[in-house]
Amino acid sequence: MARPLMLTIMRLLTPTLEFDMLVFIETLINGLLLGALYALFGMGLSLSLGVMRMINIAHGDFIVLGAYLSSVIVMSTDLGPLASLLLLLPLMFVIGWLLQVVLFNRVVGRDPLSPLLLTFGLSIVIQNLLQEGFSADTRSLPAGDLALQGVELGGMSIGVLPLISAAISIAVFWFINRLIHRSPVGAAVRAVADDQETARLVGVNDKRLFAYMTGLILVTVGIASVLYGMRTPFSPASGPERLIFSFEAVVLGGLGNLWGTFIGGLIIGVSQLFGARIDTGLGPFFGHLVFLLALIARPQGLFKGGKS
Amino acid sequence: MKSENLSVTAAAANTTGVAVNKTYWIKSIILLGLLGVLIALPWFTGYSTQRLMVELFTFYAIALAWNLLAGYGGIVSVGQHVFVGIGAYAMFSVSTTFSLNPWLALPASIIVSILFALIFAVPMFRLRGAYFAVGTWVLAEMARIAVLNSDWLGAGGGIPLTTMTGISRWLRNAGVYWAALAVGAGSLAVIWWLMRGRLGLALLSVRDSEAAASASGVNVLRTKVILWVIAAAITGTAGAVAYMNTLQVSPGATFSLNWTAAAIFIAVLGGIGTLEGPLIGVIVYFLLRECFSSYGSWYFIILGCIAILTMVLAPGGAWSLITRRKQIDPFGIRRILS
Amino acid sequence: MLEVNSLSAYYGLFQALFDVDLRVEEGECISLIGANGAGKTTLMRALVGALKVDSASVLFEGQPVGGQSERQQLARGVTLVPEGRRLFPSLTVRENIELAQHHGRPGKWDAELLFQELPALAEVQNRMSTELSGGQQQLVAISRALVTNPRLLLCDEISLGLSPYAVDEVYRLLNRARKDGMSVVLVEQNVQRALAEADRFYCIQKGRVVLDGPAADADHHAVANAYFGV
Repeated sequence: MARPLMLTIMRLLTPTLEFDMLVFIETLINGLLLGALYALFGMGLSLSLGVMRMINIAHGDFIVLGAYLSSVIVMSTDLGPLASLLLLLPLMFVIGWLLQVVLFNRVVGRDPLSPLLLTFGLSIVIQNLLQEGFSADTRSLPAGDLALQGVELGGMSIGVLPLISAAISIAVFWFINRLIHRSPVGAAVRAVADDQETARLVGVNDKRLFAYMTGLILVTVGIASVLYGMRTPFSPASGPERLIFSFEAVVLGGLGNLWGTFIGGLIIGVSQLFGARIDTGLGPFFGHLVFLLALIARPQGLFKGGKS
Repeated sequence: MKSENLSVTAAAANTTGVAVNKTYWIKSIILLGLLGVLIALPWFTGYSTQRLMVELFTFYAIALAWNLLAGYGGIVSVGQHVFVGIGAYAMFSVSTTFSLNPWLALPASIIVSILFALIFAVPMFRLRGAYFAVGTWVLAEMARIAVLNSDWLGAGGGIPLTTMTGISRWLRNAGVYWAALAVGAGSLAVIWWLMRGRLGLALLSVRDSEAAASASGVNVLRTKVILWVIAAAITGTAGAVAYMNTLQVSPGATFSLNWTAAAIFIAVLGGIGTLEGPLIGVIVYFLLRECFSSYGSWYFIILGCIAILTMVLAPGGAWSLITRRKQIDPFGIRRILS
Repeated sequence: MLEVNSLSAYYGLFQALFDVDLRVEEGECISLIGANGAGKTTLMRALVGALKVDSASVLFEGQPVGGQSERQQLARGVTLVPEGRRLFPSLTVRENIELAQHHGRPGKWDAELLFQELPALAEVQNRMSTELSGGQQQLVAISRALVTNPRLLLCDEISLGLSPYAVDEVYRLLNRARKDGMSVVLVEQNVQRALAEADRFYCIQKGRVVLDGPAADADHHAVANAYFGV
């Protein structure tokens, strides 16, 4: 751990590395755009923690699963990756609903560790099923022209694909936030998150609500997975790292605070890209470092946890 | 009410004192005999058996340490592989840098693991429950990337254990085996001893109710940090010994989540929160591995499904299925709650 | 209407209720009296379905309903106002009430009628429930139960920690609802009040019914004995 730190300090002190405002702003913007995608990764985790008090260790593997399913749809139909969402999202919803009904509902509320260990097993199963079905090779979703197009902005070039994915991420956050805070179903969700026992007393069917929740969570995961697959090559082993980025976004933002998760994602994205500027291999390392430092400074997260 | 119960038990203990003494001696003789056989193993088995036993003992120790945290402290860590890596790298670099006999470098594993655990207890214990679990995983990821980018630790290629050259093949294999045996038996002894003492009682109260425990004077945080450090020392040493077997450390393998996954599988399958559980778990784990590992991914899929089914159907693990029928307590640490 | 026959309830290995017998008639109000930890709340939780008990030990209109879920009991018309109010802090007053109304039985009581009856609540209907005073919160808690249109309302400690004026207001609302023939089971620390409001009473001590009878001719000395277990 000492060396990367030394390296950072050295790079910062080296006069040859001139401070370039343009590079700085470009890195910042790209970091924010990447972070918006991480925020979308984190959203599902934030929802399952906030509402069901359940951490899903297989969350990252679901992101990768979604990307593979999308690639299967793209290959077997004429649809592009974005159009594949039409088929992918209902499929993801059903997968989530089934998992909650068949597995997760048996362990949620028992103790906090049972869901963790169960989904840990599930994570291993998904990773190896993907490896069995699609081999260990990396693949990516064909983004076509989108991957190459960029917007020129005062000498900087910003990719169109990252812009689109950030816009989609914001739209999803806006929609889910509205659903939870402005709808009758959302009231039931908040009630269960507040006090599951009393929610049952007023007639809320918590287990059924959880099944729909997990379905919805996997829909957000499905959207994230297509945007991710168009941008980055993935392999069956990519899941755990997705989980960690999602987790960092959630904890940084403050638990049970959806927009907090969004900001948390942005911070991780920006840290990673500035880290990668210092040393290409150290991008994620700096994301983790910022996470740890933030944890020491503000253990309760950057924002007060309004319940979501 | 309480004192009545106590005096009754005391009286019962008096009358059965002779019998207790006798079973104590029988137990001790069996245990010593077993230990003797295990120590003598290198003289009548081949290298492959010894290597397998090294794996078995080191996996057992790592699972015991994980179980100490989860089962007794209620702290789940998904990043225990960080200590496997830290311990192994500490021993390898101390041994190769100072041309020191690898066995003599083992204390470095313990010391570095403990220091690492103490330093990172500060941020980690700001997290609770599931957040702590994933937080430790982040820590392990950071350590892996840091090692991967450190040239003095061999970067991506890792470090070969060059100091092993010149030691005869038999002695090398037997020596690693004995070290593994010492780690396995030693960690069992340490945990057993801890559980019988004050720490065991404190842990029991923390596990039942943190609030009640801290109200009655147990320093919950300190108790948990002690556990975390002990588990780190055990895991680090076991990691170092495990890599004496392979003679090479590398960031990808040594800081691999697979170590933690195996530990969790062994402890969950055998029974979280028992000393007997990991013993059963490690035997089942290696039986499954020897029988099915040639099936590749399907082997892991089966392991994952077994873990899932255990959590759903028998959260207490295999040992709970045994004790459900028959009350046995070979380690004598179960406390009667009245 | 409700009949409890030798009901036993457990928390794990700990037995909280021993062979409790109890009966509530249509339109009747009964009081459960007993010290803290006597098992009153456990009994309420068992009746409402929050605690698994033997099926035949709770009869509702002759049907065995013990151990059925809260939702099933709610559909039959058995609703609990839990101890400590337990409003949802993330929900507004109106949302608290409408959530229950949505999952409850159709009937006379709804959010609009309640806001008519309680103009003070109507004024704060869009505030978060945590911003209200204790008395107002208790009114919301009772409203939340009333909009499920219960036939049997279980009230656990609805006057605890409230000012005398607020207590009167809470009971005024309750009595207003009772006019339509709703049955009530009250758990009330104030024994005077408990006997004044109820038709009959049951004294519970260490999980057993030790005394019961009509509230009007309750012998205060006997009740005190049953309460303190001397």
